[in-house]
Amino acid sequence: MRRLVAAAAGAWFVALLAVPVHAQPKTVRIWQTETEPQTLAMLNQIAADFQKVRPDIEVKIEGLAWGDLEKKLTAALAAGAPPDASHGQPITCAAFAAKGLLRPLDDLVETLGRDNLVDAFRNLCRREGRYYGVGHSPASSVFVYRKDLLAQKGLKVPRTWDELIQVADALREVKDGQVVRYGLTMTGAPLFINIGVGELLKTNNGRLFDGKGRPTLTEKPVIELLDFYKKLNRVLPPGWTGHGYLDTFANLANGKAAMLYQAYGRGVGYIEKYAAKELADPAHFAVTDKVVGPSGKTPAAQLDSEPWMVFKNARNGAEAVEFLKFFFRDDNYIRYLHTVPIHLLPITKSAYKNPKYADNPTIRKWRSWVDMQEKYFRNDWIKPILVTEWDDLQKPYLLEVMGSGILVDMVMDAVKGMASPEAASKAQKRVEELLARGGYLKK
Amino acid sequence: MTVHAGAAARVRARPRRRLGPAALGVLGVLPALLLIAALIAYPVGYSIWLSLLDKHSFFPAERWVGLDNYVYLLRDTEFWDSLWKGVVYATGTTALQLVAGVVAALVLHQPFVGRTLVRALVLFPYMIPTIVAVIVWRWLLNETYGLVDYLLVAWGLVRQPIVWLGTEHVMTSLIGMSVWQFTPFVVISVLARLQTIPPELYEAARVDGASPWGRFRWITLPQLRAVLFVVILLRSIWMFTKFDTVWLWGEGAGAGREIRTLPVYAYMRTFTYYQAGYGAALAVVMLLMLMAATVAYFRLFWREEEAA
Amino acid sequence: MRRVTRLALYAAALGLAAQAIFPFLWMLSTSLKPPREVLATPPGLVPAAPTLDNFVRLLTETAFITYFRNSVLVAGLTVLLTTLVGAVGAYSLTRFRFPGREAVAKLILATYMFAPILIVVPIYIMARRLGIVNTHTALVLSYTSFSLPFALWLLRAFFQSIPLDLEEAALVDGAGRPRAVAYVVAPLALPGLLATAIFTFTLAWNDYIFTLILIASDELKTLPVGVQDLFAAAVVDWGLVMAAGVLITIPALAFFMAVQRHLVAGWGSGGLKG
Repeated sequence: MRRLVAAAAGAWFVALLAVPVHAQPKTVRIWQTETEPQTLAMLNQIAADFQKVRPDIEVKIEGLAWGDLEKKLTAALAAGAPPDASHGQPITCAAFAAKGLLRPLDDLVETLGRDNLVDAFRNLCRREGRYYGVGHSPASSVFVYRKDLLAQKGLKVPRTWDELIQVADALREVKDGQVVRYGLTMTGAPLFINIGVGELLKTNNGRLFDGKGRPTLTEKPVIELLDFYKKLNRVLPPGWTGHGYLDTFANLANGKAAMLYQAYGRGVGYIEKYAAKELADPAHFAVTDKVVGPSGKTPAAQLDSEPWMVFKNARNGAEAVEFLKFFFRDDNYIRYLHTVPIHLLPITKSAYKNPKYADNPTIRKWRSWVDMQEKYFRNDWIKPILVTEWDDLQKPYLLEVMGSGILVDMVMDAVKGMASPEAASKAQKRVEELLARGGYLKK
Repeated sequence: MTVHAGAAARVRARPRRRLGPAALGVLGVLPALLLIAALIAYPVGYSIWLSLLDKHSFFPAERWVGLDNYVYLLRDTEFWDSLWKGVVYATGTTALQLVAGVVAALVLHQPFVGRTLVRALVLFPYMIPTIVAVIVWRWLLNETYGLVDYLLVAWGLVRQPIVWLGTEHVMTSLIGMSVWQFTPFVVISVLARLQTIPPELYEAARVDGASPWGRFRWITLPQLRAVLFVVILLRSIWMFTKFDTVWLWGEGAGAGREIRTLPVYAYMRTFTYYQAGYGAALAVVMLLMLMAATVAYFRLFWREEEAA
Repeated sequence: MRRVTRLALYAAALGLAAQAIFPFLWMLSTSLKPPREVLATPPGLVPAAPTLDNFVRLLTETAFITYFRNSVLVAGLTVLLTTLVGAVGAYSLTRFRFPGREAVAKLILATYMFAPILIVVPIYIMARRLGIVNTHTALVLSYTSFSLPFALWLLRAFFQSIPLDLEEAALVDGAGRPRAVAYVVAPLALPGLLATAIFTFTLAWNDYIFTLILIASDELKTLPVGVQDLFAAAVVDWGLVMAAGVLITIPALAFFMAVQRHLVAGWGSGGLKG
């Protein structure tokens, strides 16, 4: 017994204490959120190629599902051990930059060429004139509709919020008392409601915060937005508040819905895989401009582009930047972009102009989807999540506003029947409280 | 217990022992206690300390605020709301698991052809990783393209698909899914106990002319009392602190607010509001409530014979 | 038994089995479907053109086998450690008298009252200090600490139910305690040890959040995180995800079927008597 006990205790101590930290001074740890198997494989390939050029640096690419990034960063930062470089949302980058956690990336931008960055993305994570984040690749949210179904019913592509409701209504098909096709599908996922609120508000000439950083949820554009959600609730599938992003794509691909408002370029992969073969092309699944609200004039979309961030206290920050320079070299970068062709678009003009980039069967086929996104980039009609003006990125608390789910609750309140002004003022109070508690705003 | 004490005394009497039984006993439990202490007591202590601070989850700066977080909690309507939802979820799922588990165990206790296979299959939901179970069930229950609503409509059981995952029924479907997932634990426990009930008891009852219900009520149930005492305790605690199933069920949707139970809310404060201090305070309050409930439970239902 | 009763019994057994494996059947069916059939309306349980393509791709194009090996390794080590430490602890609790012995049993239950999800950050910090972040050691230790309280309860009551006479006889015959335990107590305690093993295995096999936080390298990830990565990919590959689900479940199910007879005996005569 004694020996047994001693052995158990011994094993326990060995397990707990005798595992030394192996210092590997030149290992660069990078967290990133593109978990598609072929994208991961390509990143590892680029890392391996880099090591051939720089044998003194080993790059470890660690992929994680994007919903999990902030959790992991929370634990890593609490322990004072962030990776060397990581993806983040633009608003995460903004918060980190404001708190001085990030290493400026001006040297990376200099190497890429300041003028080589597509204009719209220079503000992605900039503070006091310095770059703190460079997007790995930009994409814009797109509005997808079934061209054939609209044509069948002689319907025109909707341009305004009201038209969207009318067209969605007209597209609904009922057979034997059962709805066999909904006019429109949207996800109720919190992330996408946050995106939707920012994006739709922008098309309605609205904003979430005033110049002093106070929330402005009781303003008219927000009330109109909530009224719009109430109308959407009548044309969307009855369980839309419980539908994830993937459910909406399933609805679109299998013909259960005729339009999908919050879609992305990666969706073409889904359509090609799951939609009937004779329909899986842009002649059937077409993209068009986002709809405009009653108080607005121009459309707006969400910019999906995680900036690369390098942590200031990273052990191998400079080496991480060296790798990123290598990553952004046209030949490497284009290989990366082609792993998800319609979603990973170039952030540099040189890659965009490079004939190798356009030389891809998927891009040739779905060119209209790429062009639609480019149009939004060119017109500066895209903003990151919860950002209605680029200046909003100077507010370091958008991340908390998003995570708290207050805006989602506001939309759900309205959809469940609360009067829009009431839902808005309830959310207004909660955001004020949140910002006051965070020390961002005096009460 | 007296038998054990006697044995211990005899052990102590053995001349070859260099270590006394007390020392041996302590040494034997020590690794387990140390592991539990290191990996649970430390985190709990850390959380208690954290709950007295105003601290952002990301940033190192922290400020001592004493009991501020606890005072804030008292007038935080979201907290009370999530507490209520947590209680509904925990009691609903525990009660249903208990009923379903006992019934299933009684069925599986009967002899029938293929019993071994059915027993193994019934325990299956407990083995499947939560993440997989949630993905599959959310798909099956989707009202536009899921199999469940399709079958319900096709068989004429309902006229319109039931919106399982929307705001209205999401708590119901979550409870159903959780009961499906965790009932096997009750089945195993009860089934095992059923096997140790002496058959003579039933024979005697039959001779006395007791009905099947009577036999269940007056023989089976009293015999199950001890096992049910522990099962109820463990399952309520585990359901009240259940996070992964609830979070995964609601995370993907705005309807998730309807199932924002206390552990989910505490998680959100730490990981999505980034208020580490307040999140920790919520966890500590949850701990205190559970402790109080457990003490009360022991006072009310613990009987001496169950200790033996 | 009367015929009606027997019929009802079989109906009930069939119903129980059906509700339990219904989702598994859907998983299996989807994993055998080609992509265009996956979302077909109306949804069908029998694939029209079954294919093993999803399984082939899962095993060749993803790191599934690595994840699988990691899961087996971590769960296996956790089971060994928990059973060993738990058995020694529980044995000591029942066979030796020492101050605080009774309190220990009740106190360890209290460890379940702290929401596990909020333990991950401090555990990460501690793992970091010990230098075991991103190692399987960290996972094994965490899972062990979570399984131990229940294991102690289960085994303690289990050892209590094993008559002391046999053990004493062996001791009197001059066998040392280790031998008495190995030859007399262990065989009798086998079902209890098995029950502990299964409870622990399930916990380690299913965990998602601790692996997510503690493990960064792809080559060290376990199955649930691997599945989540597949699920979060840009274009979710339903066939692939479901094939993974099937392959995760089958070994657990087979194992369970093999030992369930012993398990039921163990769980019952052991912990849950009180």
